[in-house]
Amino acid sequence: MRQSVTALLMCLVFCLACGGEKAGEGVTITVWETYNNEERAVFLSLIEEFQAANPGITIDPVNIPFDGLEPKILTALATNTAPDIVRVDVGFLPKLAMRGAVHPLDEYATADVTDELRPVTLASCRIDGHLYGMPDQVNGLCLFYHKELFAEAGLDPEDPPETWEEFVEYAEKITDKDKGIYGFAMRNSLWWSLPFIYSFGGNILTEDNKKCALSEAGAVAGFQFKADLYSRYKVEGGAWRAGGVRDDVGFQSRKYAMVLNGPWAVRGLQAAGIDFGVALIPAGPAGHATNVGGNNLAVLSTSGHTAEAYKFLKHIVSKDAQARWANELGQIPVNIRADAMIDLSKHPYLGIFMEQMKYAVPRPQVGSYPEIENDTNPEMQAALDGKKTVQEAMDAACRKISVILEEEEELKQAMK
Amino acid sequence: MGGAAVDQGKGRVRARTIRVAVLYIALTLAAAVVLFPFFWMIVTALKMPGHAFDPEILPRPPTLDNFKKVFTEYGFVRYFMNSGIVAVSSGVFATLFAALAAYAFVFKKFRGRDKIFAVIIASMMVPGLMYVVPQFAIVKKLGWMNTYRAMVVPHLANAFGLFLLRQYMVTIPRSLIDAAKIDGASDFQVFGYIVVPLTLPVIATLFLLTFQFHWSNFLWQLIVANRESLYTVPVGLAMFKQQHEQLYTLKMAASAISIIPISVIFVFAQKYFIEGVTRGAVKG
Repeated sequence: MRQSVTALLMCLVFCLACGGEKAGEGVTITVWETYNNEERAVFLSLIEEFQAANPGITIDPVNIPFDGLEPKILTALATNTAPDIVRVDVGFLPKLAMRGAVHPLDEYATADVTDELRPVTLASCRIDGHLYGMPDQVNGLCLFYHKELFAEAGLDPEDPPETWEEFVEYAEKITDKDKGIYGFAMRNSLWWSLPFIYSFGGNILTEDNKKCALSEAGAVAGFQFKADLYSRYKVEGGAWRAGGVRDDVGFQSRKYAMVLNGPWAVRGLQAAGIDFGVALIPAGPAGHATNVGGNNLAVLSTSGHTAEAYKFLKHIVSKDAQARWANELGQIPVNIRADAMIDLSKHPYLGIFMEQMKYAVPRPQVGSYPEIENDTNPEMQAALDGKKTVQEAMDAACRKISVILEEEEELKQAMK
Repeated sequence: MGGAAVDQGKGRVRARTIRVAVLYIALTLAAAVVLFPFFWMIVTALKMPGHAFDPEILPRPPTLDNFKKVFTEYGFVRYFMNSGIVAVSSGVFATLFAALAAYAFVFKKFRGRDKIFAVIIASMMVPGLMYVVPQFAIVKKLGWMNTYRAMVVPHLANAFGLFLLRQYMVTIPRSLIDAAKIDGASDFQVFGYIVVPLTLPVIATLFLLTFQFHWSNFLWQLIVANRESLYTVPVGLAMFKQQHEQLYTLKMAASAISIIPISVIFVFAQKYFIEGVTRGAVKG
């Protein structure tokens, strides 16, 4: 018994000894990313470029399934095995930052770098006045419409609706319940409702991120309009209900003429041979608006090589790298100086996605955004179902959100 | 009188026929319900990318592209190999260790034997997820990250397996063991020549259950492997669910292949699987 314990201890010491870094060699930066196959190919070529220009720094990319990233990164942080850089959803970054897991880049990121970044992407990296990462990918919802269904209803397929009034008018013309065709289809959930809320002048939280704003007039009016599309105008196909045909699925099978969707949907729709157009989300009383999704690249505070890691991130967001990213993948560049370098003839929809991003409103940078979303969704569902009025549902959501915000504030105080 | 008996007999035959017919219809329906997802999986796997939700049920035209892509554009050759290595070695060693431990707990006398057994059984009550972080910390300290060892070794001590085998070994008549001992057999000889052959059905069951568990284990294999060359099939499958879109046709193609080993084993060893379920049900 004693022998085996000794053996085990020796083994441990040996393992720890050989785990140390060898001196004299360059720095290796490990990156955990969640790119798909196409994005990964471009990412790898950007790494090669960077390594050629920066001998002594090796980038080691590890591809992680998107769904598995959260448990993996949390386990890694708990056991001190986290990578230097991680690609995270913009909604998840504040949570990591608030817990001190992310290294702020304020000391490195100079104005000449940040001034080139699309303002909305920069906003998604800034939390409590500090820069907690570099933007990697940005997108927001747009209006996708089915050109064939437009033509069949006698509408001009090149003339999508510009305001919500026009939108209802078009949708009413297209809706044909006997044939099972609806003008519009939508999802329930806070994020998918944001374009409605924003375009009516509402928001999730007040500007200082201290109070819930969903029960205020703008947000209520916006969500009321969304609910009306189903219950009052009857132009929405019930896609949000359990057992309903999902919006993107019904759009593909010619059931729904208009849906909200993002740049990621283009490839699949093109492959399926759908003749569709993309337009700005119709304007409400407060003008055009959309939400923001995407990913940021964050340097973790456990990394011993934050300067080198930043150097790599600076390369990724550079004008030339972003122009390549946009041209090869049809995604919105995070660097505005890359805009002029895009070949829009190859990506016919990219122009409109970029136009829409001008009206994008970032989500509040609070660590408990995922909890806010989780607690609001059932209330919104109840309002769509007609079980609660919109005002009642929003009041209930706000009560839950205040508790969440209080808890976050307490945690913040405790962290200090 | 004879006529009445014949009538009665006919009636009984008819009643039985109806009963059997009803039974078969019910079983057919149940089978259809159970098999439909498999049908759906295979049909979707044969559709062109982007056509997973076409209104037509059958693919038009069917394509084998998804199956090809899974192996050429995605690393499933490697993932299947890794899953095979992990599942087979976990199955073999976990079963072997459980059998050896069960032997000790049944046929050897040592201080606190039953108490130790009770503690081991009690450990089954702790939800598996609770072990993840501590096990991960140990694996890391040992410097085993990104190795097959990390994926296999932590799961080799299996309280359920010990319980299953012990409960079966208890039923082996002690006189058999004593007879062998009198003939001069060592513990390993008794284990190898008497206990294992008698316990074989349960050992097979345990191997199959362990194999199946590790073939489909996701979380652990995800967190201990930071190299795509070490990813297993479930981790590879998760790659098809991306942030905004699911690559359904590819996912279904890979899933269809991933169930082949399990289905083949199930067809050949059905009775052991079922034995495992019923044996676990009756604790005694």
